[in-house]
Amino acid sequence: MGKATVIPFGPQHPVLPEPLHLDLVVQDETVIDCLPQIGFVHRGLEKLVETRDYDQFIYVAERICGICAMGHSLGYAETVEDLMGVEVPKRGEYLRVIWHELSRIHSHLLWLGLAADAFGFESLFMHCWRLRERILDIFEKTTGGRVILSVVCVGGVRRDIEDTELAAICQTLEGIKAEYQQIMDTLLTDISVKDRTVGVGVLTHDQAVALSMVGPFARASNVPYDVRTFGRGAYGDLTDFAPITSDEGDCYARVKVRCQEVLQSIGIIEELAAKIPAGDISVKVKGNPEPGARAANVLEQPRGECYYYAQGNGTKFLERMRMRTPTSQNLAGMVEALKGCDLADVNMIILTIDPCISCTER
Amino acid sequence: MGFQSVFTPLERSAVHEDAASRQAQGWRYVQMLAVNNEDDVDVVYSYMKYGALDNVVISALPKDAHLPSITDLYLEAFVCENEIHDLFGITFDGLAIDFLGNFYRVSTEFPMTITSPEKLAMMEKQRKLEEKKAQAEAAKAQKAKEAAKGKAAESPADISGATADGQLIDAEMEAKLAAMPPEKAAKVRAAMEAKARAAKKAAEGEDA
Amino acid sequence: MGSFHLGAMTLGSLFKKPETLRYPAETKPPYAGQKGHVVNRVEDCILCSKCQKVCPCHCITVDKAARTWTIDPYLCIQCSSCIDACPKDCLSMDPAATPIASSKHDITLSIPETEKS
Repeated sequence: MGKATVIPFGPQHPVLPEPLHLDLVVQDETVIDCLPQIGFVHRGLEKLVETRDYDQFIYVAERICGICAMGHSLGYAETVEDLMGVEVPKRGEYLRVIWHELSRIHSHLLWLGLAADAFGFESLFMHCWRLRERILDIFEKTTGGRVILSVVCVGGVRRDIEDTELAAICQTLEGIKAEYQQIMDTLLTDISVKDRTVGVGVLTHDQAVALSMVGPFARASNVPYDVRTFGRGAYGDLTDFAPITSDEGDCYARVKVRCQEVLQSIGIIEELAAKIPAGDISVKVKGNPEPGARAANVLEQPRGECYYYAQGNGTKFLERMRMRTPTSQNLAGMVEALKGCDLADVNMIILTIDPCISCTER
Repeated sequence: MGFQSVFTPLERSAVHEDAASRQAQGWRYVQMLAVNNEDDVDVVYSYMKYGALDNVVISALPKDAHLPSITDLYLEAFVCENEIHDLFGITFDGLAIDFLGNFYRVSTEFPMTITSPEKLAMMEKQRKLEEKKAQAEAAKAQKAKEAAKGKAAESPADISGATADGQLIDAEMEAKLAAMPPEKAAKVRAAMEAKARAAKKAAEGEDA
Repeated sequence: MGSFHLGAMTLGSLFKKPETLRYPAETKPPYAGQKGHVVNRVEDCILCSKCQKVCPCHCITVDKAARTWTIDPYLCIQCSSCIDACPKDCLSMDPAATPIASSKHDITLSIPETEKS
């Protein structure tokens, strides 16, 4: 047994998409302990709620993170609607969920590409991002924006999708599905992928429950927790929805869960596109939130459960807006998964929690 | 499985006990947050079990309060506790991973406890508006009383309602004027007076 | 055998149309509803300054005395709330993005005087 050494890892590291710093305590080639640190990109966006109207803040909420932009605007809007007792028309809810699921596909494809890049499978990375580009094209066509969609407003959505356009989206998704099957096949059966992921960074079911993990990270450890099962908005109209779980709890299981969630999202979009009702897409919201009124809400983002809190003070500004992101919840689990792993596997384990530090710090 | 979010108040001293009993009952830690009030801070702990989201509110903590840390029960709370310490100045005793105020790189100490001038202006405006509204309402009640007493007017309710409405509009106008630059406010005031005079004249004309 | 999973797809893309564009030489035409930049049809503008009020980034300035409407296109986030708020529908979103410039500048439009009926 060699002497324990501390190796600083990040915030600048080729494999890290976001500024996360880790102090790895290493003995020989094994990580025995680790201390995570964030705080490099704190922008104080929650404070901005004091200088922006509640309906203007939606644009700030979107800009918290590029990949979760749709999720943050949706979660914020739902929370403010709870606060003010606004009922969103059915068509608006359906459109919101369709866009949100599209953004889940785009986030997962991005992540699968990054994961492939992390274990050195460059061509797989390019194929994943090629498919993701088609989703971004759908966004551009339907909302006018590629990443920042600005399509959700308090009380509904701002743009409608024509039924012919919806059919075209479903057709595009079918095209993606055929190609995606091949990519998924590679990710799940290729020996070079399995070598890097099977048995790495195992987190057992009990550990995942004890550490209150959320999202695909928890579902890979067989915790069947998915906010979509609560059936808010159009999720309630799905004929059957069951969270995708896996019981291995290693990096391979996390890749597998995310891979299958893409297909599940395509299924959700196709089902909702088939039964979307006609009608209004938004209602006009009048007045200001009551002083002292509080609302809390959760939303399943691509990375897991995200918590939103809003408090009114009688003016058009909110008293407090807060979001707790899935990464902040999963950091402790990541530390636990890192303990006992090989130094060379650290980047793989960090990637499989899909960290989003910009969201976490806001 | 439905989703339900509730807010329950809790005594400051029972924070740790509450967390311990919830952990024993299988509640999942969701988050912690702080809300800055004018001279105190509220802290909200959220736990979840199945679809029930329980937000435990500890209200009116002094700005430099100490709270027991729950990281011995729920390790994942270290992110939120460090964050609240850095941004609001509440200290958590017994933090499992304590960054001693270096979690976030912030240029001002406890930035979330400072109220921005925009918000102060807005609150002031709101307060004025409410005061005027209350005054108008009091005046309305007074008028209604007088009208009821007098019984002389042909349609007392109508008249009192109209004047009260007028006063309400005036009150809103006043609040708007307060927010305007002085030259502009003076101009608007003059215009309003002229309008009122014209209305009076018209009314007199009708009477004649 | 592992590396041949992706073989068919990679081989196929040798014969397919390329997914990328030779960027400076060819550019992607914007979609009809894409958010590029805000344009103001000056004939219809009544200088009501509603756009200035709703703008979340304060990039529009309306000067009633000088009869000008000013936008800072580099501050604008293309949220199109001004377009929704416009009572005269004189604001609209052009699908082309703001052209690249060597320095940041405001765009000031002067609004012609309308004959009062």
